[in-house]
Amino acid sequence: MKRIEIKLNLEAVAPLLDRIKESVGALEGKLAAPVRPPDSDAEMEAAWAGELLRDQKGDCQRFLAMFDQRFFADGTISLDEENAGPVLRACAAIRLNLRESAFGMVPDEALEGGKVSLEQMDQATQNAFEAYVFLATLQELIIENLDGEILS
Amino acid sequence: MPESHTECAPAEETSTQLALDRPWRVVVLNDPVNLMSYVVLVFQKVFGFDEPTARRHMLEVHERGRSVVWIGVREKAEAYVFTLQQWHLTAVLEEDEAH
Repeated sequence: MKRIEIKLNLEAVAPLLDRIKESVGALEGKLAAPVRPPDSDAEMEAAWAGELLRDQKGDCQRFLAMFDQRFFADGTISLDEENAGPVLRACAAIRLNLRESAFGMVPDEALEGGKVSLEQMDQATQNAFEAYVFLATLQELIIENLDGEILS
Repeated sequence: MPESHTECAPAEETSTQLALDRPWRVVVLNDPVNLMSYVVLVFQKVFGFDEPTARRHMLEVHERGRSVVWIGVREKAEAYVFTLQQWHLTAVLEEDEAH
């Protein structure tokens, strides 16, 4: 099993975890992306959304499990084919929630083009945006290093 | 009344069968959050696309706002939409009116 270990800057990442956990808490009861079931049937929509929500919660739990005693000791997290997929999906869910809850005022074009000015944000929004960028970096690392294993 | 009901039933079944047989499109819509590399990976993983095909669909989503990533029977199309939503992509099911 291919496995990578990433040593993170503990002082930089640990403060972001509080904001990330806030989003994970928000995602306990709602889906990160709008659900569009094929039919408008309420029963089917509820069942569809319920199953997606269960999966989302499971992925977020796997994500938070990476930040264990070892991370708080030396900043190291471990990824392998078992947790890479769930962590990738959790990063996507949390990023969607951060975007919606913390910087919805930023235009889509600015966000996609990376033209976001931190100076114009208050401290809480800056913190959320840093968490958003951190999660993107983590996704890139996983995709670059483990995609072959994930796809197998 | 029971006789009328008996006559109507086959017609409903036929109609349902035709609806199920018609092809459906799985359409992925653009969002400003998910990374391009992530979308490419999801397309490869979910549909088994090779890298150039996955990238072409990703760019179509990015530039045109949507891409039809699969066409086929409804049941399988629904399963694909569900899987894409598990990966937090915005995906919808549309009836393929071309057929």
